[in-house]
Amino acid sequence: MASLLLRVKSKMAIFAHRKARGLLDGEYGSVFRGRSLDFDDLRAYVPGDEVRDIDWKASARHGSPLIKRYVAVRRQTLLLLTDTGRNMAAISRTGEPKKDIAVMALGVMGYLAHRHGDVVGLVSGDSVRTRFIPAKGGEAHLERLLRQVHGDAGAGVAPSRLEDQLDHVARTVKGRNLLFVVADEIAATPAMAGLLRRLRAQHEILWLTVRDADLAPSQPGPGGAVADFYSVADYVFLPAHLAQSDTVVAAYTKGIAERDAARKAMLRQAGITEGDVAGSQGVVTALFALLERHRRAG
Amino acid sequence: MGLMFWWLLPLAVVAAAAVGVAAFRAGTRGSARRRPAAHADRLTLLPEYQAAVRRYRRWLAIAGLACASLLVSSAVAAARPVDVTTIRPEQHNRDIMLCLDASGSMSSADAAVVEAYAELARKFDGERIGLAIFDSTAIQVFPLTDDYDYVQEQLQQARDAFDGKPGSSGFLDGTWSGRGSSLIGDGLASCLNSFPSPDTADGGAPSAPQRSRSVVLATDNLLSGEPIMTLAEAAQLAAGRSVRVYALNPADLDYGAGAGQPGAQLRSAAESTSGAYYALDNPDAIAGIVSAVEETETAAIKGAPRAVVSDEPAVPLAAALVSGLVLCTALWRLRI
Repeated sequence: MASLLLRVKSKMAIFAHRKARGLLDGEYGSVFRGRSLDFDDLRAYVPGDEVRDIDWKASARHGSPLIKRYVAVRRQTLLLLTDTGRNMAAISRTGEPKKDIAVMALGVMGYLAHRHGDVVGLVSGDSVRTRFIPAKGGEAHLERLLRQVHGDAGAGVAPSRLEDQLDHVARTVKGRNLLFVVADEIAATPAMAGLLRRLRAQHEILWLTVRDADLAPSQPGPGGAVADFYSVADYVFLPAHLAQSDTVVAAYTKGIAERDAARKAMLRQAGITEGDVAGSQGVVTALFALLERHRRAG
Repeated sequence: MGLMFWWLLPLAVVAAAAVGVAAFRAGTRGSARRRPAAHADRLTLLPEYQAAVRRYRRWLAIAGLACASLLVSSAVAAARPVDVTTIRPEQHNRDIMLCLDASGSMSSADAAVVEAYAELARKFDGERIGLAIFDSTAIQVFPLTDDYDYVQEQLQQARDAFDGKPGSSGFLDGTWSGRGSSLIGDGLASCLNSFPSPDTADGGAPSAPQRSRSVVLATDNLLSGEPIMTLAEAAQLAAGRSVRVYALNPADLDYGAGAGQPGAQLRSAAESTSGAYYALDNPDAIAGIVSAVEETETAAIKGAPRAVVSDEPAVPLAAALVSGLVLCTALWRLRI
């Protein structure tokens, strides 16, 4: 199998060419800064850097913006948290397996943390068991984490239950960490809301939602053919033509809007920044937007 | 009720089972084309979707039932349901010889007489009927038969001949030999000989019961020439063979009360054989002859029992048609 991290890097390289080199690094550094007062050196400004980090005098002498770098005293811990249950074997809104999108998002985030010198750990699992890989640095470790996620999620594993993984973090992880959660369109429940508030009190949380497949599309997809779905949870067959009547589509659209609004409200009340992504093409953009939003919020 | 090709049913069951297994296998392979989706409760918990699923299941059940019914009924129809019944055809044991005087004196009445004969033939059922015509000699137009279509056809030809239609002139050939005309005694005697002789009755079957015999003699009894047998002698012969003679006289004119008058001679001859005498224009003539002949039945002959096999495909084919229509409707509703 080709290196998963390599795929992540190439995706980021494409994005960086399109926007500006190092943009994501700047965003990440601004968000998760482990700043000390010990000045280290200066480096060129990249868009996304904190404006207040600009050394104005040095910039005036140099002719272009320079950023003050400090010696990081604290190595931060980025804890990746994702679901590797059966739900992740399902397809996303763009038709790709949600697992691939999750691996891509976790990889981008983990690689940013690695470039920043942070250590990365992983909590993943399904309703039967939860795996915890302690945080370490290095690309090899990051690759191992991604393979863990890629290898675990599949159609043959136990059903998903993200509460178990969140609960595991709440019970076992000590100290303040950065928590990056990749989940799908979970339903908002009071238990989940309580758990998220409890986690938010300890950690800084970023939440990326992978959009699930549209089960009742208002217009047929390319080619005019509608594909039949089956539910990964119980293998129930969902004939596409049954979901195509106007009443069902209207009710489905209304139900999805309510579900999304409830989930967003739950995350917002817990103080968690949320972004969503439909396919692997949009992962880097979505993460950039998520980091940007988090920087403004925080 | 039975099935002629009953072995088709197990074959149909085996074929249906094989197709079912193949379809089931194809169905499990076909699920590879379905795409996995998470959080299906987003859709399945909607009441609108649940109603659609219930409708779908209902039509699916109807389609399944219609398909099964179509298969069963067409398999049954293919197995040829037949009704086997045993019938004993009943034959009436009466022979009637129609005996027609074709002489010149009768030529004006012959068509009417043949009409009367045709009416007689229509009223009989199961009797054997034959026709002979005579002038100076007698010829047999057709022998005793129970093929009434043939009888009607021959009587139609006789009517055409007497009406003088073109192409029918040969009908009377052979009735005139120059020894005179209207030799009624000879004609009656010839008619009597048209019956099978008693010792070889019914093709020689010795156990066959004796059939009652009647002659319907249409003549005006106007003799011209020297007959071999007189009417009285012929009547005597008929009585001796227990043949009843029913006379139809188209020219029942009053020649007086004398016993020598032609009508009176004919009446006495007919009555001497326990028969009857009627004028042709007497409205009771036909009905009287029919009832008199029917009274002479000695015993109905039972034919040999015959097994009659008749196809009865209506019920299974109608069921198959209805099932097919229901199946089409259900498939249309299911949008398959």
